[in-house]
Amino acid sequence: MIKFWQRRFKSNVLTENLEFDDQLKHIKKELKESIHIKFAGSLAIRMVDSGSCNACEAECNALDNPYYDLHRLGIYFVASPRHADVILLSGVITLNMLSHAQDAYEQMGSPKWLITLGDCPVGDGVFKEHFAYKANAKEYFKVDFHIAGCPPNPESIIRGLLDFIKTI
Amino acid sequence: MRLIARFAKDRGTHFDVITVYNGKTDVQQCDKNKPLIESLTKKYPAAIWFERKMFDDFGIQVEGAFDTRPLLHHERFPKNIHPMLKNFNDKSLDLVEPTAYPYERINGDGIFEVAVGPIHAGIIESGHFQFSQAGEDILHLEVRHFYKYRGIEKLLENKTLDEAKAIIERISGNESVAYQIAFFEITAQAWHVEIPIHIRKRNALLLELQRVISHLTSLGFIPNDAGFEAALAICSKLSEAARRVMQRITGHRFGFAAIGFEIKEIDIEDFSLYLDSLQKDINWFEDWITDIPSLWDRFDNTGKISLAKAIKYSTVGVVARASGVTQDTRDNQFYIDYGFEMANEKSLDVAARFKVRISEVKNSIVMMRNFLDNTNEKVIFKSLHDGEYNSFVESSLGELFMHVQIKDSLIERFFVRDPSFVNWQALHTMMDGNIIADFPLINKSCDLSYAGNDL
Ligand code: SF4
Repeated sequence: MIKFWQRRFKSNVLTENLEFDDQLKHIKKELKESIHIKFAGSLAIRMVDSGSCNACEAECNALDNPYYDLHRLGIYFVASPRHADVILLSGVITLNMLSHAQDAYEQMGSPKWLITLGDCPVGDGVFKEHFAYKANAKEYFKVDFHIAGCPPNPESIIRGLLDFIKTI
Repeated sequence: MRLIARFAKDRGTHFDVITVYNGKTDVQQCDKNKPLIESLTKKYPAAIWFERKMFDDFGIQVEGAFDTRPLLHHERFPKNIHPMLKNFNDKSLDLVEPTAYPYERINGDGIFEVAVGPIHAGIIESGHFQFSQAGEDILHLEVRHFYKYRGIEKLLENKTLDEAKAIIERISGNESVAYQIAFFEITAQAWHVEIPIHIRKRNALLLELQRVISHLTSLGFIPNDAGFEAALAICSKLSEAARRVMQRITGHRFGFAAIGFEIKEIDIEDFSLYLDSLQKDINWFEDWITDIPSLWDRFDNTGKISLAKAIKYSTVGVVARASGVTQDTRDNQFYIDYGFEMANEKSLDVAARFKVRISEVKNSIVMMRNFLDNTNEKVIFKSLHDGEYNSFVESSLGELFMHVQIKDSLIERFFVRDPSFVNWQALHTMMDGNIIADFPLINKSCDLSYAGNDL
């Protein structure tokens, strides 16, 4: 473990060094402040994959890497919809997942929000209406916000979350 | 002989049931009025899902199968529907009243079940694991997937090759480059174009870069599932850096739309510098992590699959190579000329799969250096030929097999077997003698795709 700390000291605070993008830095600051005001410092997100290609999940995972480190801003991906303020819904909504995704939404305590993530769940992507899935989440959920992209990159997700918070 | 895939085609008057082994393909005709085939499950356990899928897709019955439960069509999926039949053209289906799915059950005193999924605790894809437990010990695991069944095979029918491309690159995002190359090779065959060497090199380079991203991600998440988060911090930084390189050279973080006959120029100096730093980082990582005994305590002897079982269950990719199977689609002259060396471990466990990933990252760096080439020459197309084409690509998870039949310049039948489809079926054999707390670790060490599996 000593090797780790040696490297750790040499590399300084990774996140600070690598935040070359000033704009992103600014957004993060704003996001942190608005989470502080509107969500008492912590925004809990439950990720639900209802039929994605898995790239949207990979980008959400990337949000926790040292470049973005969303945890620092008070954003947590939580293990249960009952702990969540927001559901991030990714992918088309397959027949096999529809009722499970609805279940997850019902399990959430109010107030609650649902954000569609990526082009899939709103039918904007390459997956158009087909027998095995539904391509429009609006018909099955009350959608509060949408983050576009295929997949939306971590930066767009961060911007999207900020824009979402501004709407409430 | 290894079973690679088994699938059917609706030929109008009859069904063809095609079974692909390495080195051999069997085609069996089957009457549409009495669609019945023999099961291969006794010899090839991995045939089970192929055969259950065939029933859901076409209504083909399987004689001698010990498992005839529906696979793709879950509790609320409409009954008696076989979407892969040519005369099925519904654009939309409605859910019906649920019918219970009988899980595999072990009866006995004090035995209980743990149901996990389809929605999991972390940021993971949807799928279900049903454990039969005696206290901490796992007695049996049933992997139940296809929650994400998008009907991709049907979706691609009657599409032009161009229209299909954007969908195929989004079958399994993490393996996008591999899917694109598989389809690209099929397209080239259909156009009667010999793929020029500089394009093969570029494709191979991007494929290795995708492998690096995927392995680095796993190298972080596997220790994380053993409670060692420091590794995740290091590796998620490395994989993000690799993804940014992918973005720089293809214009997309996952390499969507990266494979084609046009070559984008790579800044060779910049890329070489990146490879140098990656080389340093991975060497440091290996040296550091090998020295954490408490971590290897969790890795060693956990989630073993014997060589005999790895072969019997037709496993591929990292899982197979960590159990001593010397199988890799890249094991050919082209790759060997550019520095390919097959990673192979014999300890059968999580540790072996972890080490295979480290070796493969190192080998990928060597190959990527050799694949660097900015040649860009025009490729001359002849005419598109109808026919049936196959391709094999080694994705980061293992061997990917794709089959496309083209008729009147449109896709008549699309079939793909993701490496996960066979490896998922072997996962339960790794549970023997393990406790449920080690399941996430074992599962992560295999790092399988749900989207590519479910289609
Ligand atoms: S929006 Fe794009 S990246 Fe996201 S799940 Fe759909 S196809 Fe994949």
